[in-house]
Amino acid sequence: MSAFSILTRGLALFMLAVFIFAPQLFAFAFEPLTANNAPAIYNQGSLLSLTLSHLRIVVGATLASTVVAVALGIFVTRPAGLDFLPLSRSLVNVGQTFPPIAVLAIAVPLVGFGEKPTFIALFLYGLLPIFENTLSGLTQVSPLTLEAAKGMGMSPRQRLFQIELPLALPVILTGIRLSVIISLGTATIGSTVAAKGLGEVIIAGLQSNNVAFILQGGLVVALLAVLIHDGLSVAERAVARRLGRPADETT
Amino acid sequence: MIEIEHLTRRYGSTVVVDDVSLRVEEGAIAVVVGTSGAGKSTLLRMINRLVEPSAGRVLIDGQDTRTVPEDELRHRIGYVIQGYGLFPHRTVAENIATVPRLLGWGSKRIAARVNELLDLFQLDPAEFARKFPHQLSGGQQQRVGVARALAARPALLLMDEPFGALDAVIRAKAQEDLLAIQRRLGTTIVLVTHDMNEAFQLGDRIAVMDQARLLQYATPTELLTRPAEDFVERLVGTVERPFRLLSLTGVQAALEPGGAEGEPIALSDNLQNALSQLVWSGRESLPVADPNGVIVGRISVGGILAHGRPPA
Amino acid sequence: MRPLRSGLPLDPLGSVIAILIGVALLAAPFVTYRANRIVSGEGRMLAEALPVLVAAAVFAVAFGAGLAAALIRNPLARLAAALVGLAAIFPAVGLSAVFLTPSGNSFARISPSVGFWLLTLSFALLAADSLTRLRLGPWARLAALATAFGAVALLLLSGAWDGLSILKEYATRSDSFWREARQHLFLALGSLAAACLVGLPLGMLCHRVRALRAGILQALNVIQTIPSIALFGLLMVPLGTLAAASPLAAGLGIRGIGAAPALLALFLYSLLPIVANTVLGLNQVPAVVVDAARGMGLSARQRLVQIEIPLSLPIILAGIRIVLVQNLGLATVAALIGGGGFGTFVFQGIGQSAIDLVLLGAIPTVALSFAAAIILDAATELAKGSA
Repeated sequence: MSAFSILTRGLALFMLAVFIFAPQLFAFAFEPLTANNAPAIYNQGSLLSLTLSHLRIVVGATLASTVVAVALGIFVTRPAGLDFLPLSRSLVNVGQTFPPIAVLAIAVPLVGFGEKPTFIALFLYGLLPIFENTLSGLTQVSPLTLEAAKGMGMSPRQRLFQIELPLALPVILTGIRLSVIISLGTATIGSTVAAKGLGEVIIAGLQSNNVAFILQGGLVVALLAVLIHDGLSVAERAVARRLGRPADETT
Repeated sequence: MIEIEHLTRRYGSTVVVDDVSLRVEEGAIAVVVGTSGAGKSTLLRMINRLVEPSAGRVLIDGQDTRTVPEDELRHRIGYVIQGYGLFPHRTVAENIATVPRLLGWGSKRIAARVNELLDLFQLDPAEFARKFPHQLSGGQQQRVGVARALAARPALLLMDEPFGALDAVIRAKAQEDLLAIQRRLGTTIVLVTHDMNEAFQLGDRIAVMDQARLLQYATPTELLTRPAEDFVERLVGTVERPFRLLSLTGVQAALEPGGAEGEPIALSDNLQNALSQLVWSGRESLPVADPNGVIVGRISVGGILAHGRPPA
Repeated sequence: MRPLRSGLPLDPLGSVIAILIGVALLAAPFVTYRANRIVSGEGRMLAEALPVLVAAAVFAVAFGAGLAAALIRNPLARLAAALVGLAAIFPAVGLSAVFLTPSGNSFARISPSVGFWLLTLSFALLAADSLTRLRLGPWARLAALATAFGAVALLLLSGAWDGLSILKEYATRSDSFWREARQHLFLALGSLAAACLVGLPLGMLCHRVRALRAGILQALNVIQTIPSIALFGLLMVPLGTLAAASPLAAGLGIRGIGAAPALLALFLYSLLPIVANTVLGLNQVPAVVVDAARGMGLSARQRLVQIEIPLSLPIILAGIRIVLVQNLGLATVAALIGGGGFGTFVFQGIGQSAIDLVLLGAIPTVALSFAAAIILDAATELAKGSA
């Protein structure tokens, strides 16, 4: 990583942190955007607590999706689950044609407003990329490698934990990253169903016609997503390197 | 010693290996040759039970392999495949340590064994132990593959086209190295190949398979001089036959008393190489020297040629 | 090798589907009855929801299909079972609405309930699994899609579902439904077209000029990462300023809220898949082929048009598929900033807690994305075949 990119990342992180902890410091920048003496900085809740609940729901849902999706991915690639493999592949394909908002909206009448429908939408939608990547990670392990492992007397369990999962790990991590990014976006929309999160700032801006709110909400959400994406990519490359793979070019 | 008794494998109505019996003596190399699809690999994979036999059994030192749990059996048998199947996420040292780790060896013992093997295969531990497979050349990967198979000192080594992925020059060297190491360790080897030259170079005995059946299992010389079927005769090559026979015979066999002019031939060499030198030098005969350089006699074209055909 | 099975040869997936069908039939309400649009409803089991004989027939058909799923392995037979099942429950749910609505009552609402959805899911799973195993070619898949849409259209046009709550929602806003449908397509397809116009040349440029590649792809990657609402919001500000400053821009319909920021955001999101896949597609054209073409005297332009583009078409189409499915979904969010589209109904529905209104927006969106995915997958495969 070049000194320049470390510097930009550090700076972006610093700005984001300062803005979240003390948004009033930036009031001067947003004032020109307001009209009729409207507040320049979001005043119906602290940005810090909104950010934290936003992150909490994303992390919680992603953890749940990861556990379930990886377990399912392992199941359908074992001999006992092979019958489910073709269908699960097409389900992932079909599932991705469901817009996250639709999942969110359909969950509301079932479980009511608040964090629950958001969590459900995040969990369900987050399953897809992780499951898909777990599948492709596990199925792309070279048959030669597995043959060698079997020939040396590794049990199915040892093959799974010592060979297949470590080799699939970078691909699974990519799936988790995709899932986190989608979840960050869906959680933002979750504010329309009254989940606490950063979307609140943007929605409030839209409702009260306050461009300053829209802009600061958008900036915080965007910066947060970009930084998280970036951090996860770096982590992925580090894992890939530790596993003896030349670092892949990011796409 | 391994004894294969009436081994058969069927997939549905297709018979892939048909009632094959053979015995490999302790410390010997048995090479299984045949065209692709002849059932060689399946035969090999039934020895470590990667394929379960439909009928028949395999005894290793008198013990029926079916009485040993699969994985335990495989821990005791080295296995090398074409392409090697090195674990891409593990270093060379970790790859070699695979079976010892499965067996629960202590880390010091494992480290010592890994270094010993790296030395044996002429890979400097300081340089190679921490490398990953993708950082190795094809020849180095092959050596790591064999070293990994030998890590837990198996008495038996199964090799399926172990040199198939190497180019000609490196392959010859790898074959020589394998022979040297095998002589040193006394490991019994069953090796599958479709390359006749490889079979003649490595095999103490050669098993010829065709269409699931074992046609002949004999020493290289016997295979050349008394082929059991037309197919065997064609497979060993009617054109190469005399030269293969000469390459299997030592200079000693055609040694004549007396002396001759020219560059001496080593007593330890084979008749094919001796003939080659005679042809190249344009002489009828050349002197023969023992390892100390002492001339012990001579060798002539006529004397050599008598060994290039089956005994009458 | 399959392990030997003892006893009845049960198909594992089929058994799961059969259990789902059993639960749907025996333990879940088939439809929900509500006295009016807003109040919460009460479930009606299959036996209560339909005339006795019809209920018995639907039960028998669904039960039979479940048995077939568990016992029969032939994919064609399983597909037939799934289709018969769907053909039984789809009209039945419409009939149930007529049966349960007291005559002359225009407030009562009947909507499909858990049982119906579970049955639909079961049969759809069974059909999807059979279709996957049949490995249909691209034309056959397109025909299957057309048949499915034709069948649903027939049900809608025949009026068989008119008694259902969701169609009552439609009836009261049929004008705005088609207006939002056009708007939704305009947002998704317009942004796609613009992204193709810009993205394809940009991709070719990135392929030619290595120095540009990393920078451009990284920038597009960052855009792709920004959540949709945030990007919509961020674009509203400069567009709003532009509209305020320039009457010309405002005259062209460029405003801070509405379709303009949505269209621009969707366009920006679309660029990454198109540019990245164009680069990928051009990169995977074998160098020897290009070399041979050069050796035969094809100019750079001829090589591009006759060799490189046709050979990379499948990958480029795969990029377009990603974009189209993504845009059809994201266009729903545009409603939040006044951009219209099916999202209008979704967000109205959320606001009024009216699930039927949500579904009125969500179902067409899903159907469109689904159709787009199948059509473009088929096109990709056809392009692969001809390339």
